[in-house]
Amino acid sequence: MSAFEVIIYEKQDGIAYITLNRPKALNAYNIRMRDELYEALGAIKDDPDVRVVILKGAGEKAFCAGADLTEFLTAPSPVFARQARFERDIWGRFLSIEQPVIAALHGYVLGSGIEMALCCDIRLASDDAQFGLPEPGLGIIPAAGGSQTLPRVIGRAAALDMLLSGRWLTAPEALKLKLVNRILPRAALYPEAIKLAEKIKSYSPAAVSAIKQAVTRGLDMTLSEGLELEKRLGRGLTADTKL
Amino acid sequence: MPYHTVIYAVKNHIAGITLNRPKTGNAVNLKMAQELQEVSRLINGDNDIYVVTLTGAGDAFCSGGDKEEVEPCHPAAAIAAIDRPVIAAINGDALGEGLEIALACDIRVAATKARFGLPQLTGGRIPADGGTQRLPRIIGKGKASELLMTAETINAEEALEIGLVSRVVPPESLAEESRKLAETIAAKGPIALRYLKEAINKGMDMTLEQGLRLEADLYFLLHTTSDRTEGIKSYLEKRKPDYKGK
Repeated sequence: MSAFEVIIYEKQDGIAYITLNRPKALNAYNIRMRDELYEALGAIKDDPDVRVVILKGAGEKAFCAGADLTEFLTAPSPVFARQARFERDIWGRFLSIEQPVIAALHGYVLGSGIEMALCCDIRLASDDAQFGLPEPGLGIIPAAGGSQTLPRVIGRAAALDMLLSGRWLTAPEALKLKLVNRILPRAALYPEAIKLAEKIKSYSPAAVSAIKQAVTRGLDMTLSEGLELEKRLGRGLTADTKL
Repeated sequence: MPYHTVIYAVKNHIAGITLNRPKTGNAVNLKMAQELQEVSRLINGDNDIYVVTLTGAGDAFCSGGDKEEVEPCHPAAAIAAIDRPVIAAINGDALGEGLEIALACDIRVAATKARFGLPQLTGGRIPADGGTQRLPRIIGKGKASELLMTAETINAEEALEIGLVSRVVPPESLAEESRKLAETIAAKGPIALRYLKEAINKGMDMTLEQGLRLEADLYFLLHTTSDRTEGIKSYLEKRKPDYKGK
């Protein structure tokens, strides 16, 4: 694997850790980060040794304060920018990871930062975390799936309120809206994420992946299709156990 | 005033609609539904309007359908067709068709005294202006079934608890609060706002994969606007953006 500059990728005892690592820039998401994440996520996808993933941000102040806007005005024409988006479909790849991904969020979780967290399956936040989507104030809309993933997690009305008015949420508000699963004191954030990862790791990887698939893919189906998917995945697991 | 059942006024890119049949609790009749449809068309054709607020004159927001009216009315459909962000400032009771209108808005702010319910079932009817579809999409199937099947009325506090409204304020500050909210929204990029509404509302009816494609397409379409350049430049230059809607 090539050397990463703006993320840290570590693997230990079946848990993969991705750390966004531009602390001086509040871990702002830039093109380099996109390319490195794309590579790390691709490695995780193909690595059966990785059973759970933890995504976190380096430094004291932020998980990720959003996209690096200094790169925004250098974009090529919309046509080429769109082409590049789908050639390196980072968010499609992120959402297609079969292993559970836990986001450990602290400090600023803004714009692309929230959107990355929304690509994860379980979100833990420290009590100092702040959440916001500033896009419409900049004359743009989210581009990392936020307009789709946010309403699917917190509902249409809360998502429209957050996105249209640009208001930020504190950690307790985020918990109330179910944007995050749990709030923890800052010092307990990573230990708790690891504890959760260990718990998930203790289960059969096939069952874990089947559950993730049933829940996430099932949400895009009619109820009867979803029940059919659940049955199919369940049958696959029973067959595995018999072997 | 060209309208009989609604008041319509535009100021500083904010369009205000007031349901105006206060003697009947702003009950919806065919005339009001038609006038809302006209206003809706007017707004969609006017690029200078960035955000819309909707409220009721007098004590009620809207008490439901007019008992005297025999024609089917679809006021909520007219409001849902507006492609700008719509804030419902729910000053009082939002019942039956009244709640269906509020559900067709994007953000709901309510006065503490407002009550909410879809009582159609008690008259042997079901909601016919989107209530059975929009309510579960906003508050979830379990709570929506309870409200619809009991036909009971809830107060503002309960409405906040279940996510039916996103904010509750004292009646005397509702107008001020909703105006402030409208101004906050109107200060954003107007085209981005419109696309955002489209991405969320249309995207929620698609699979995630289709929704992500819609988002990306709208995102790159925004690259062609001068507002996008202004938004990013103003941020980098640490000043307020001056959006033109172009």
